Formats: sequence, structure tokens, C-alpha cells
Amino acid sequence: MSELRLAWRNVGRNPRRTALTVAATVFAVLLVVDFTALTRGMHEKMIEDSVRLRSGHAMLAAPGYLAERSLDYFIELDGAMIARLDAVSEAEGWAPRVVGFALVSQDVTSQGVALLGVDPRREASVTSLPNRIVEGSFLSADAERGAREIVLGKRLAERIGADVGDQVLVYGVAYTLESAYELFTVVGLARVPNAKLERSMAVVAIADLQEFLAFGDRVSEIAVLASSAERTEPLRQALVSNVDGLVPAPRVHPWPEVMPDLEQLLILDRAGLYIMLAILVVVVGFGILNTILMAVLERQRELGVMLALGLRPAAIFRVVLLESFLLAGLGLVLGLGLAIPIGLWMEANPIEMGEQLAGVSELMGVEPVIRSNLEFSTVWKSALVILVVAMAAAVYPAFRAGRANPVDALRSL
Amino acid sequence: MTRPWLGALALILLGPGVEALEPPPEGVPASELAERAEDNLRSDRTYFEARMKVESPRLSSARSVRFRSWEDRGGKRSFIRIHEPAKDVGTGFLKRGSNLWMYIPRVERTMRIPPSMMLQSWMGSDFTNDDLVRESSEVDDYDHRWVGVDPAFAAAGGRRAYVIEYLPHEDAPVVWGRIVAWIAAEGYAPLRQEFFDEDGVKLRELVFSDHRQVGSRLLPHRWTLTPLDKPGHLTEIELLEAKFDVEIDETIFTRRYLEKEFRR
Repeated sequence: MSELRLAWRNVGRNPRRTALTVAATVFAVLLVVDFTALTRGMHEKMIEDSVRLRSGHAMLAAPGYLAERSLDYFIELDGAMIARLDAVSEAEGWAPRVVGFALVSQDVTSQGVALLGVDPRREASVTSLPNRIVEGSFLSADAERGAREIVLGKRLAERIGADVGDQVLVYGVAYTLESAYELFTVVGLARVPNAKLERSMAVVAIADLQEFLAFGDRVSEIAVLASSAERTEPLRQALVSNVDGLVPAPRVHPWPEVMPDLEQLLILDRAGLYIMLAILVVVVGFGILNTILMAVLERQRELGVMLALGLRPAAIFRVVLLESFLLAGLGLVLGLGLAIPIGLWMEANPIEMGEQLAGVSELMGVEPVIRSNLEFSTVWKSALVILVVAMAAAVYPAFRAGRANPVDALRSL
Repeated sequence: MTRPWLGALALILLGPGVEALEPPPEGVPASELAERAEDNLRSDRTYFEARMKVESPRLSSARSVRFRSWEDRGGKRSFIRIHEPAKDVGTGFLKRGSNLWMYIPRVERTMRIPPSMMLQSWMGSDFTNDDLVRESSEVDDYDHRWVGVDPAFAAAGGRRAYVIEYLPHEDAPVVWGRIVAWIAAEGYAPLRQEFFDEDGVKLRELVFSDHRQVGSRLLPHRWTLTPLDKPGHLTEIELLEAKFDVEIDETIFTRRYLEKEFRR
């Protein structure tokens, strides 16, 4: 206890230096915590947006489907399958899709599209598709089989000159290799943050597409949504155990397998963040090292006297470590006192990006909004890292202090 | 996924038995052979009636398509009308240069097939739209090189066959990295073609059989295409009638004709 008091007194002895060191720590804590929260929020948003655009947090498909994405790979969506999917408690919702390749044309101009067949009733429980309509409406949930409604990407519609209410020709090759062609009525136009996707986006009711492609009750993929990206792994496990034993058993693909590009992008981005933060923390560590070392060197005489009075070198070592701990602790308390409210505020008030940045985010398939996500784990991990660095920085000065020579110190008195 | 060694391996395992070949004859340029082989199948103005059979693991019985085609080689124009199956009767394809239009009578719509769709299946077969449009020419867009002479090419009933390879020009609108062709020494009829991608992986084989004399030509009446990346798939074209150097009415190669003849 007396060591703590001693350390505290030493910290207070040079208030200006202490204040500067504490300020540096506060700044580091602020950056580490809020930047991690911001990046985390951004990544989660990217995952969420992508996942909600199409794949779900996990996707069921026949083995081999992901590489080819052709009609040769399918899942039979029968009663047994539905029952098993409904039994997965980790799943927030699931939706079957049929994916076919087709040409869509309004006049003579045609455009190749990935024709997506969805169940309008289930789709809203998994993807944001129904909310992305900018003109007209989404496929009606109660439309009869054969209503042949189609939702087009806005850019696709502009390209082929189609509008809500128009009849577009959809042409493709059916599962039976016969020609498939039907007129579909455009009921809505959708915008998605990914321009390329929007140019080749056409959505119809799954029953219509199954009929169009002579695909029976087969589906290409089943998207399953977890409560959050973090629950992807438990969801995957639950799905795997639930479809186990089905013949043929579909594969369960967590979203990183469906969208490896996105995952790589995130890993790269995270690595960049960590490198930056590591540099920051190291700089702060040296700041603390500098402060403590200076304090120790200044106090050679005092330390010598203390040693001469019988204080053990180990005790001096502890006192200096405690000083560093107090400095870092002070910085942490103040830093977190600032960082947490700011992080929470940023979480509550997502930042809308300007027009210029909107282009970039569109390219990456994310809505131009930065929402931060402050996790408790971020807070305590940041605190731990900074404390460890502060302690590590104090080891050398503390060691020096413990080795102060009482004879030299007393002689210079 | 480019694996050159896979290509090399494929070459060793599946490629022509180069060591069994005789050296090429003197004084016959490979390019002339390629030209002769092409001329054996096409003339300046050619008419075909043919039946196409498509086999696939998806189907219990083969899909059958009967069509008639008119081609004006010099004008780079061609026209195809589908006559079977019933569902596709009247469907027409008009090619002018690099443009390809398709007309579907049941919905009375014409659409232009965009360049990005050229590698898609034609009428559900293993042929692509590109095969149909054939903007490239096996004569003009490739360099031709001798491989050798096969004294008894088994796949063509022991005929003596010239083996040459086609290597595309740098900037040619060509999808293949290399084509190896077997051409009958007598009559220059095509016997077989193997298509390789740029990594040297063999993607498909086209076998010509049932050679019959049509005028001056020894014409193969059966063309069998096997895509090697799709096991169980096969497309076979059987010529029902072939006329070379025929008169073709100019109006055939117009959008109006494409849409007129079968308008209900």
C-alpha cells in the first residue's frame, strides 16, 4: 500500500509530463476503441448487406453447385426438407431460390441476366429485396402460379428500355434443354448498391421460374439467415446436423464460401487496421517508456537514498511498474470515458457518406452509411493491450531504478 | 484456374499420337489444306436441311431439332429457320456480320443476341451461338501448321488423313487456343477436329462421319460434337439435304423476312 502511495506521489511530482503522457494514452485509447468499433460496424454492415442481398448467412446447395451454378445441381424441396429447415432454431428465416440464365428483352435490345426465382412470401424474412423497389412493387405474395410477374434491376430496365407495366420477353434454355420463352409483366424496378448486379438483375416468382425452366419442385439454393453475422457458425452447425442423412445431402456453405471476395476484402481491411493500431500502440508505449525512464534517471539520488535506507531493489522495481500502471490506468480511464460515449454516439448516429463516397461504396456493394459497432470485447481488449504495453514499457526503467547505486547517490549529496 | 501442366498432361494423354504419324508431304502448304477442308463443307451460297439431336444425362430421350439454313459466305450473312420440334416451329435466326437476331413467332418478338451471349448454348445443344455466327473463319483467322500424316486414321474407317493444327492470330475474335484437324487425304473432307483452350486443355471433339459424294464433294453427313467438360452430353447434326452454290433470294437475309414468314 505504501508502494502505491509512493508511486502515486511520483506520478504527481511532474504534473506536466504526466499530463502529456496521459493525453497520449487517452488519444491512443480513443483511436483504438472507436476506430475498431467503426471498422467493425462497417464490416458487419458489408456482410449484412451482401448476405441480405442474396446468400443468407448460410446457403444450402447441392455439392458442386457453387463452382458451376447450373441447373445440373439442385435440391429437392420436399416436405421432409421443409420440416428439417423449419426445425433449425438458429435460423431467423429461410428462402428457396432457383437461379437460371436467361435473356431479357423489351424491344430488340436484349440483355443476359441471372434470372432469380424467389418465394415472395418467404423472401422478406431473408433478404432486403422487397425493400429495394424504387418503382412499382415487389412480386405479389398471393399471385397465382402463372401470373408471370418480374422485377428488374433499374439499370437493366433502362438498358433494355422497359418500364413498369411493360411485357418483357424472357428467353432461356429449360432444364429439358428445350427453348424456354415467355412474356413477363414488369411489376417493379429495384435498386441495389451493386451496379453490376443491378444491370443483370431479374427476379420472378419461384413457381413461375420452375415452370419456365421445366424444373419441377427443384430449387438451386436455399438461403438461411442467422440473427447476426456472428451466429453464422452455430447456424452452420445446426444446419449440417439437420440435413444430415438426407439423400442426397445438400452442402451447407457459410457466407464466406459463397462470397470469398467479400471475406478476402474484410481480412485485408482488418489487417490494415490492426497494423495501424499496432503502430499507434507502440508509439504510445515508447511515450510511456520515455516518461518513466526520465523520471527514474532524474531520481537517481532519491532512489539511492531509499536503497540505503533499506528498501529492497524488488520494491523499487514494483514502485516504478506501479507508476507506469497508474499513468496508463489514468489514460485508460479518461480515454475510455471519452471513447465509449463517442462510440455509442456514433453507433446511434450512423454517418451518411457524401455523394463522392457513395460511388465507392456502390462499387463495393454497400450502402453509403457508416455505422459504428462498439462491442464490450473491443473495450476490454483495447484496455488490456494498452495496460500490457505500458507495463512492458516500464520494465526497463524499473530495472534501472532497482540497480541504482546507493554509494554513488549518497556521495553526490 | 489456369493449370498449364494439366494442359500438358491432357496433351500427352489425349493428344494426337504424334509419334505414329508420317512426315507431311512436300509442297502442300497447311493453309491450303485448311481452305480445301472448309470448302468441302461450305460454298459461297449454301443450303442445308439438317436434324440436330441433343443427348444429355438430364434427358431420357434425345431432343431433336430440324432446321433449314441458308448461308451467303462472302456477305457474311446466314439465315436459319426451325421446323421441329412443334414448340419452336418458325423460330428464326438471322446473322448479318457480327449481329445475330432471333425471332420467336409464338410471342411475335425479335431480339438481338448480345455479344456477351455468344458462348451460350444454341437451342439447348452443345453448339454455341458463336458456332452459329462464326464471325471468325477457320481459314482467315488462324495460322496453319502441319502436324503429320496418319496413314490409317481409324476414326474415319482407316482413311489416310492429313493432320494439321490451327493457331489463332493474336487479335482474331476466336475462342479457341488451338484446333487440331484431321482431313481426308482423298477429297479433303474433314474427319475430325479437336478444340483446345488457351491452356491447352481439350474442351471438345467434333467428329465428321457418314461421308457421301455430293457433286464434287465428299461430304460428311453426320457431325458429332462431344463437349469433354460435360460428361454424357453429345450433339449430333445429321445433314438431310445439302446444296452448294445455289441461288438465294436476297430478301431472305432481312429482318422483315425473319418476322414475316411465320407471323400469325
